[in-house]
Amino acid sequence: MPKTAIHRAFPVLNRRQVLAGAAGFSAAAMLPIKAWAQEGRLNIRVYTEPDDFDPVDASGFGEGLLYGAIYRNLIQYEPGDDWSYRLDLAESIEQTSDTTIEFTLKEGQMWSDGYGEITAEDVAFTFERILDPEMNSRILPDVGTLSRVEVTGRYSGVFHFDEAFAPFWWIALPYLAGTIVCKAAIEEAGGRIITEVPPTVSGPYRVRELRPGERWVLERNEDYTGDIPAEYERLDIVYIGDEAAAEIALEAGDLDFTEVSPGSVARLQGNPPAGTAMSMHPSLFYVWVGMNMEHPKFQDIRVRQALQYAINVNAIIEAAWYGVAEPSTGIIAPGLIGNRPESLIPPQGDPQRAAELLAEAGVENLEVTLNVLNDVTFTTAAQVMQATMAQAGIQLNIEVHESGSFWTLGVEADGDRWRDLEMIMNRFSMLPDPSYATAWFVTEQIGDWNWERFSDEEFDRLHREAGTETDAARRDEMYRRAQDIMEESGAYRFITHGVTPNLFYDSTVPGTRPDGLPLAQYFRRA
Amino acid sequence: MSGFRHTLIGRLARDPLAVMAIVIIAALVVMAVFADLIAPYDYTAMHMTDRFAPPSAEFWLGTDNLGRDTFSRLLQGGRIALTVGLTAVVISGLIGLVLGMIAGFGPRWLDNALLFFFDTLRAYPTIILALALAALMPRGLTTVIVVVVITSFAEYGRVVRTQTLSLKHSEFILAERAMGASFGRIVFHHILPNVLGPFFILAAMNLPVVITIEAGMSFLGVGVPPGTPSWGSTLKDGFDHIRQTPWLILSGGLPLILVTLGFTFLGEALRDQLDPRLRSGR
Repeated sequence: MPKTAIHRAFPVLNRRQVLAGAAGFSAAAMLPIKAWAQEGRLNIRVYTEPDDFDPVDASGFGEGLLYGAIYRNLIQYEPGDDWSYRLDLAESIEQTSDTTIEFTLKEGQMWSDGYGEITAEDVAFTFERILDPEMNSRILPDVGTLSRVEVTGRYSGVFHFDEAFAPFWWIALPYLAGTIVCKAAIEEAGGRIITEVPPTVSGPYRVRELRPGERWVLERNEDYTGDIPAEYERLDIVYIGDEAAAEIALEAGDLDFTEVSPGSVARLQGNPPAGTAMSMHPSLFYVWVGMNMEHPKFQDIRVRQALQYAINVNAIIEAAWYGVAEPSTGIIAPGLIGNRPESLIPPQGDPQRAAELLAEAGVENLEVTLNVLNDVTFTTAAQVMQATMAQAGIQLNIEVHESGSFWTLGVEADGDRWRDLEMIMNRFSMLPDPSYATAWFVTEQIGDWNWERFSDEEFDRLHREAGTETDAARRDEMYRRAQDIMEESGAYRFITHGVTPNLFYDSTVPGTRPDGLPLAQYFRRA
Repeated sequence: MSGFRHTLIGRLARDPLAVMAIVIIAALVVMAVFADLIAPYDYTAMHMTDRFAPPSAEFWLGTDNLGRDTFSRLLQGGRIALTVGLTAVVISGLIGLVLGMIAGFGPRWLDNALLFFFDTLRAYPTIILALALAALMPRGLTTVIVVVVITSFAEYGRVVRTQTLSLKHSEFILAERAMGASFGRIVFHHILPNVLGPFFILAAMNLPVVITIEAGMSFLGVGVPPGTPSWGSTLKDGFDHIRQTPWLILSGGLPLILVTLGFTFLGEALRDQLDPRLRSGR
């Protein structure tokens, strides 16, 4: 008799082999899940892959997490529930006038690998290369009106500004732009760090290995001279874009800390995996749907407005954020200067009004494409949008992108895809100053971070003037007006700020910012 | 009546494996073709208050993360699977048939060139090649079909070429040639009918592979767009929400298992009946 598929699919096993296999499986299932942190190794998940060692090329939170572990700033964010900062390289730093900040460095702070002491020359070099037009730094907006850094001694210097720029303390000094680099190492490297491992570091950890698309393996920096020494022998920053996959990785013991999806909050709060704990944080992120104003389909403002009305934000939040988040009114979260009490278009939208606007514009059978990240929250939100927009007679096609593809969609330097870009569901990280939100939507950011190609003179002026305004009430009013202008343009539909639910093994005490994002250098063993 | 017993269909009807395969395939085809009539709900309708509902009288296979009826979506998914599977198998089969016969009958240099081409394509891991091709093309069902055709026609070409080469040098073909038979007569009356047996077996065995490639691409997020009820998308939804409900992943996996078993059994049964060596061994 010829062998059939069944014979091949189920090779003959004897009773002893079956029992041995079953016993093996049972024994394996009973083994406790191991959190790496117990063994001097920490695995922190990051949702966006850091892709540059050189802070001048930094683009987001992935780099922020990495730089916090391997480099140092004059001041650093303090972990906890309230936004504050602590001195790091700086012995002292103070605002001496509206347009000057004076600093003095601690003595004896060293670069690794024999690059010597960290001096004021390094500080000046760090900021001046961001200001250098030839460097084309994407974080130039972070330094605002900074004009130069004067070195007044081996350990002292002065930041000079053209106009007052209060956000410098919150968005530049403790974050990406304020990451101090080694002048000697960068000059030796030809002006930019392009190597796989940076030639020198100053933070508690150093880079052992880079596995693109997977993880950055860090190890203790024995040359570290600061006061937050590395807690772990090895620290892995693990890139997992999808929250559901990250949750599974954590429950399997492959991660020690991750943000989880809103859909998992109820389950994890009620029945957390053994040995884990959960924390919830108000988020500063802002999620919105943008329209490329230069695309032929969106040049008529009535079409853009129709799309704004066709999007039911409440339904999106209920479906994709499981009701644990609130609709947002703009790009500035509650609690920050400039947060609007309500948006101009109600969150539930109005399909009838959307249909009327389309009829006024003479547009029939509108078909548009929404680009989203390959993430369960965003793809769910997109499907809800697809259903609700159909009520207004709009066909929404969904284009899903991996992180690497998504984050270059609207960037002119990365090709021509920005020309065909129609709609984007996007999420930007945020710092505790409103200027960090408006900075990405000014005219100069078109083709870089401003993918809607939104340009408005009043908005640009408000952003510029609010950055130098010292009166809080006046600033508040200016940022509110700036968001009104964004919404009136029709190019934006604000969705939510979300929440940040973190899951971690209780063998770890996470160090996080008030918005729940990790500060790797502050993680400690319980 | 005894004549029917000796036809291919008659022989298949006496093979329990073939009967099982035909029942499974027929059920899937009927459900896919009449999906709109059978489905209790619109497959896009969201019932937000019934998200992740387990199987019940109201929702036979439960609901997904947006409260959509899983059974209705699986029926539509069957339509997508069969559309992709049949279209891709027919197109890739025809391309492979033509190129394979050209290689088998053509001059040596052309045979070598086509063989090199087939082997080069087959050397790539299917899913890696599929992902690379999908990255270059707009997302959608047409792309999935094109990707599947590109990744699978070489296998047909290889098999048909081998069969053609073997038949070309057989005695009855040499006899035909000696009697002055035309090229067309040799190809269409003698080679083609003898090649079709193995070709159909391969096609039957390949259909579930093709459906699985489509499901795999959708699962990985490079197949059909979100919201399209492909079996792979249902599996992906099940994977994303496995902690909320196990039913989605079970429901998405079950039809894939059934279709794989059905077509594999059919291929096995066809091979048993069409391969003279196996038949004589019975």
